[in-house]
Amino acid sequence: MKTYEVFLKKAGRDEFRHAGSLEAPDPEMAVMYASETHARRAEGAEMWLVERGNVLVADPAILAVNDDKPHRHNDGARVAARRKERREGDET
Amino acid sequence: MSLKAAERAHLLALADDEHMVGARHTNWIGLGPFLEEDLAFCSIAQDELGHAIGLYEILLADDPDRDSADLDGFAMLRDAADYRSCWLAEVDCSDWNDSLVRHWMYDRAESLRWGALSDCSDERVAALANRALREETFHLDHAERFMGRVAGADVTGKIAASINRLLPIARGLWDELAEGDPVATGFASRSVAELAAEWETLIADDLNKWGVDIILPDGNVSTGQAHRSIRSDGFDAFHADLQRVILLDTSAVW
Repeated sequence: MKTYEVFLKKAGRDEFRHAGSLEAPDPEMAVMYASETHARRAEGAEMWLVERGNVLVADPAILAVNDDKPHRHNDGARVAARRKERREGDET
Repeated sequence: MSLKAAERAHLLALADDEHMVGARHTNWIGLGPFLEEDLAFCSIAQDELGHAIGLYEILLADDPDRDSADLDGFAMLRDAADYRSCWLAEVDCSDWNDSLVRHWMYDRAESLRWGALSDCSDERVAALANRALREETFHLDHAERFMGRVAGADVTGKIAASINRLLPIARGLWDELAEGDPVATGFASRSVAELAAEWETLIADDLNKWGVDIILPDGNVSTGQAHRSIRSDGFDAFHADLQRVILLDTSAVW
C-alpha cells in the first residue's frame, strides 16, 4: 500500500486545499477511494492526488531563517508613524 | 399514475433485492479489509438502501391500502412470504470473498435492470433509475477494479470457490415473477430473459478479462425460489435481526 495526499477544490475561485491522505495499492484505486473517503458529500468539484513519495519536502531549517526578519512584514506601521510625526511637527 | 400488477411486482422485486443486499453489505461496517475499502463498501451499501427507499416510496404512494408514511413498516415488518427478494440478495456472505463476488454479480445485474427502466413510462421510476445508474457507475468501477486485482491472482482458490457457490444462486435474479414481465406493457425497455442472457455474457467476459480459468457451474436456484415467493434458508434469522430495533418500540417515530 502507498500513501496518497488528497487535494480538493470547490467550484469557483477557491484554491486547491489539502484535504487529507489515504492508503491505496495503486493510483487507479487511490482515485476511486479518494472520491469516497474525502468527497462523498460533494466536498469538492475538482481533486488532485499526489503519492506522498513524490512530494518535495523542504528542510525546516531553510524556513527557520525567516523567523526573525521583521523588515519583511510590510504592515505600514513605520510609514504611519513617520506620517504622524510629520503631521504633529507641522502643527507646532 | 397507477401501476399494473406486473409493474408493481417488478418494482417490489427490485426494491427488496436492494434492501436485502444493502443490509447485508452493511455488515462490513468497521470490518472492511482496510479503512478506505471499508468506507467504499459501506457507501455502496448506503446507495443500495437509498434505491430501495426510492422504490418503496413509489410503491406506497401507489397503494391505497397502505399508509405512505409507513415506509419502515413496509420495508421491515412484512411477513416473510410477502417479500420478493432473490436468494442472492438474502444469502449470508460472512466471508469477504463471498461478499465481494456477490457485489460484482449483483451490480452487474443491477445496472442492467435499472438500464431497462431508464426510459420507463412512469416518470418517477425513470428519474430514480437514472439516479441509480449514476451511482452504479461507481459500484461497477469498484467491483471491476477490486475483482480485477484479486480474481486472477486467486492463489488460495477462495474467489473461485465463491463463484462456484454463488453463480447458481445469482441466476435466481432472473427468476420470472408470477405476475409476468412488464416489458409487455412497455414499462421496461428490455425483457428479463434478455437481461439474463446479457448478464451471463458479461460475467463470462469479466472472468476471461481477469484471467480466471474455471469451469462455471450450471445450477440455477430459480425452481426453489418459485417466482421469488420462497425465502432462502437463513432469511428468518436475518429478517429478525433487521427488525430487532424497530420492534423495541413500535410507536416510536424514527
